[in-house]
Formats: sequence, C-alpha cells, structure tokens
Amino acid sequence: MGDVYIVGVGMHPFGRFDKTYEQIGSEAAALALKDADVEWRDVQAAFMARMYLPATSGCRILRKLGGTDISVIDVEAACASGGAALRQAVLAIKSGDVDLALVCGTEKMPRGFMDPAMIYSPWQVELGISQNPSYWSMRAMRHMHDYGTTEEQIAKVAYKNHKNSVHNQYAMYQKEFSMEQILASPLVCDPIRLLEICSPNDGAAALVVVSERKMRELGKKGIRIAGISHSIARYSSDFRCPADSMSATVDNVGPTRVTAERVYEAAGIGVEDIDCFEVQDTDAFCEIELYEELGLCPTGEGGRLIDSGEVEIGGRTPVNMSGGLISKGEPIGASHLGQVVELVEQLRGNCGQRQVEGAKVALGHVLGAGGNCAITVLQR
Amino acid sequence: MKRRIPIKDGLLTGPLDQLDSVHLSGSRCGSCGETSLGSNLACPNCGGENLAHVALGDEGTLYTYTIVRHRPPGNYQGPADFKPFGLGLVELDGIIRVMAPLRLEIDDLRIGMPLKFIPYVLRTNENDEEVVAFTYDSVGE
Repeated sequence: MGDVYIVGVGMHPFGRFDKTYEQIGSEAAALALKDADVEWRDVQAAFMARMYLPATSGCRILRKLGGTDISVIDVEAACASGGAALRQAVLAIKSGDVDLALVCGTEKMPRGFMDPAMIYSPWQVELGISQNPSYWSMRAMRHMHDYGTTEEQIAKVAYKNHKNSVHNQYAMYQKEFSMEQILASPLVCDPIRLLEICSPNDGAAALVVVSERKMRELGKKGIRIAGISHSIARYSSDFRCPADSMSATVDNVGPTRVTAERVYEAAGIGVEDIDCFEVQDTDAFCEIELYEELGLCPTGEGGRLIDSGEVEIGGRTPVNMSGGLISKGEPIGASHLGQVVELVEQLRGNCGQRQVEGAKVALGHVLGAGGNCAITVLQR
Repeated sequence: MKRRIPIKDGLLTGPLDQLDSVHLSGSRCGSCGETSLGSNLACPNCGGENLAHVALGDEGTLYTYTIVRHRPPGNYQGPADFKPFGLGLVELDGIIRVMAPLRLEIDDLRIGMPLKFIPYVLRTNENDEEVVAFTYDSVGE
C-alpha cells in the first residue's frame, strides 16, 4: 500500500452567505481541482462530508461541476465528518480502487444554538439537557475544580485565536478582542462566555487526494497524509452530548488520546515531531483540555501551557494559527477539511503573517457529538 | 387521577402515582458488575446481556455543573418564563453519575454538595397523561 498525497486544496470562506449550499460546496471543489491542475472528469470517486444538509447533497453539489457516473457518497460523523470522509478517500486509494479522489465538506446552518433534535433524545430536549455548550462547560467546571484552571486562562485561548484570525481571509470574524472584552462577554453556560464559543455557520473546503503514482504522473509535489484515524468515544470516557450519564467506576481513556495514539503510531512519529496544530476549539476550554489529550503537556497543565505562550504563532507548538473554530465558525461538515487546507498551506509556506516558519509536520483534530474524533497528520 | 408515564421508558421505577416511592432505574450487569442508567439491551461497558433491573439511590453528590443562562432550543418544556438553571452530573452511590437539571438556586451550586432525587409531573401530554420527569434539589429544608 503506497502513500496518499494531497495535491490540491480549495476553500470557500466560513461565515454567513446569501448563497445555496450547492454554490458554496461547488466553489470550494472547483478551487481544489484548479489548485491540483486536474479536471472534474479526472476524479474517480468523491466523498461529501456534511451533517445538516439533506440526502444526496454530494450529488447535488458536485453535479454543478458537470455530469458524472462515479461513486459520490455523503459522509456524516458529527464534528468529525470531514475526517471520516477523508479517511474513506485514503482507503479507496490505498486499496488500489482509485488513483484520484475529491473530498469536500460543505455546510449551511441556521444561526444560534444547533437544533437539539439532531443530537439529543426527545426527553433530554424537554428537560433542557440539550444546549450544546452545557456539556463542554461542565467539563471546564470540573477541570477548574481539580487543577485550578482559571477563567482568565480559558479567555486567553479565545484571545489568541481571535487574534490569529485577523490574518485569515477565510475566517468569519477576523477581529481581535481584548481580554477585557472577552471576560465581559455574556456567560452562555458557566464558565463559558459568548466570545469563547464557536458559531454554527456556512462554508466549504475541498481536497484532491491522489496515489503516489498519480502524483508523479501529474508532476506535482504533494503533501503526504502521514496518518489519519477516526474513532468514537469508549464507554464512559467522554461526557459529550448526548451522554445521559457517566460511570463513577470506569475511567476509560478519552477519544482524542485514543485517536492520537493510533495516528502517531501509523505515522511513526511522536507529538514532539509536530510543528503546528489545528484543533477543535468549539469552546476555549476544549482547547486547553486538548493540549493535555494530544500530549502537548501533562494532564492538568493545559492552563499553564496557554500562560507560557508556547501555543502562539512563534511559540514552540503553535495551535490554531487560522484562528480556530472560535473565529472561523463551525460549518460542521467543512470544519476538519478547513483545518487540513490551512495545514497544507502552512506546509507549503503560503500563510503570510500567520505562517509557522519551517513547518514540516502538522496535525488537524476534531471532536464532537458521540465522542466522534478524527485526527490527520500531514508531512511535507 | 390521570394516568402517569415516565418521560422515558425504563428511566423510572416505582408506582408513578406515589412520587415518594419513585426512583431512578438502572441496569446492573451480571458479567462486569457495571450499572448503567435506564433499561438497556446490553451492558454499555462489556456488551453482556445478563442485566438485572435495580433502583438507584435517591441521594447523591454534585460531581460537576454549569448554569444554563439562555432558554434551551427546541422542544424545551421548562417554565414559559425562563430563569437560568443549574445542570449537573450527580454521582449516586459511587457507581454512576447522572446528567440532570438542578432545582436549587444557582448561587448555591457547589461541586461536592449533597443532593436528593425529586420526581415531579412535568406536563400533561396529548393523551391527557401526566409525564413524570426528575430533578435534584438540596438536602436541607
């Protein structure tokens, strides 16, 4: 089984647009094909990541590029949909079934809290156990209790990510906020505040992935997918929605740690070999917990890591150079592939003021409902 | 008296017309000993199918919580006049932590505090049945 490479990336900005999802998705797909210098008719299989769109979204979006008879399937794995779709494309290429595949993530979502009927049982919705930030907030509250993590440390994550987004033309906000503004923004679910959470929105991202043989034929220098994995949370390892209870006796390893270990092993690398990270900052606390789960610091020391400055651009291990989901928003199907587009551009050295100098290895991570987690490691 | 039903099948045990005798219901696995919430096909820990029905304890401690500051979306059946409320994981008998709305004042919430189980009639449904739900409140009067 040979390696799989990314030879083209395309992105529709994340935000709110007066456009159909078919337009948003097909624009990103067309940009990825153009970046790879290939035509739609060269694509042998296509995978569409989406969560909030109707059935056959992939067909409807990609037919705008022209008629086709290839396999086009929709892939859904909550916030990890993009990772699950990319994994399917990698497997299709590694199996020898195809040499060139298109992976696209597209979403168009209403404003405000996500429709709880999508991810919770009816009784949970009736009782109000169904407002997405509440689960993340309960984790934050316990982390503060156990390790002394502070509201200021949580706010610093939001400060860093909003600041990074100023240089990202694909982000929804592209606006810096002061620590005072963040800490004065309204509480949504204590201790998490409005400027510390991401918004559901619209957007798309697309990749052209190929076999090594195809890459040589195209005469391209691609970015290698060194490892990719997707998993759901083990029993009682993660109280993300829609969990109704947790064990008090079983303490399983969480989905990020499980997925990261699989990817590090497949890629033959350790966390110390990775130059930059894009991670699931659905809320600012989540990023602190992920520093620990990905192995950037010991358990309980995530708050101290944000204080150290090492996760800023220019630090030892920059995280969310793009501004993260806090500033870009989270068009769910597109979010992981948006991370991968950012990381490919980082490895190509195309990121201007948010460039991580000399980046050679990069990691993208998403985590959501059901403890769905996907991690992709890229290498130049 | 109207007929009563639990908000979710298998979640509550005891006669619903005597709320003092109603408890949360669990399933204890004969293979691994793990207790899970409600009625299940298989043990969520080990997959074992030899499950015994158990009543969970009515007293617990608050493992963690948040305060829901805005009206939850969708078919939320709480008071029409929304008031921020606590939502927490309540640990029962050292075996399970249950996600539940909390009835006590939000300013009184503290990790580790003792709480007690409160079943109550949430609403009357379209079949004129009373739907029984649950919450937790502080132990003191």
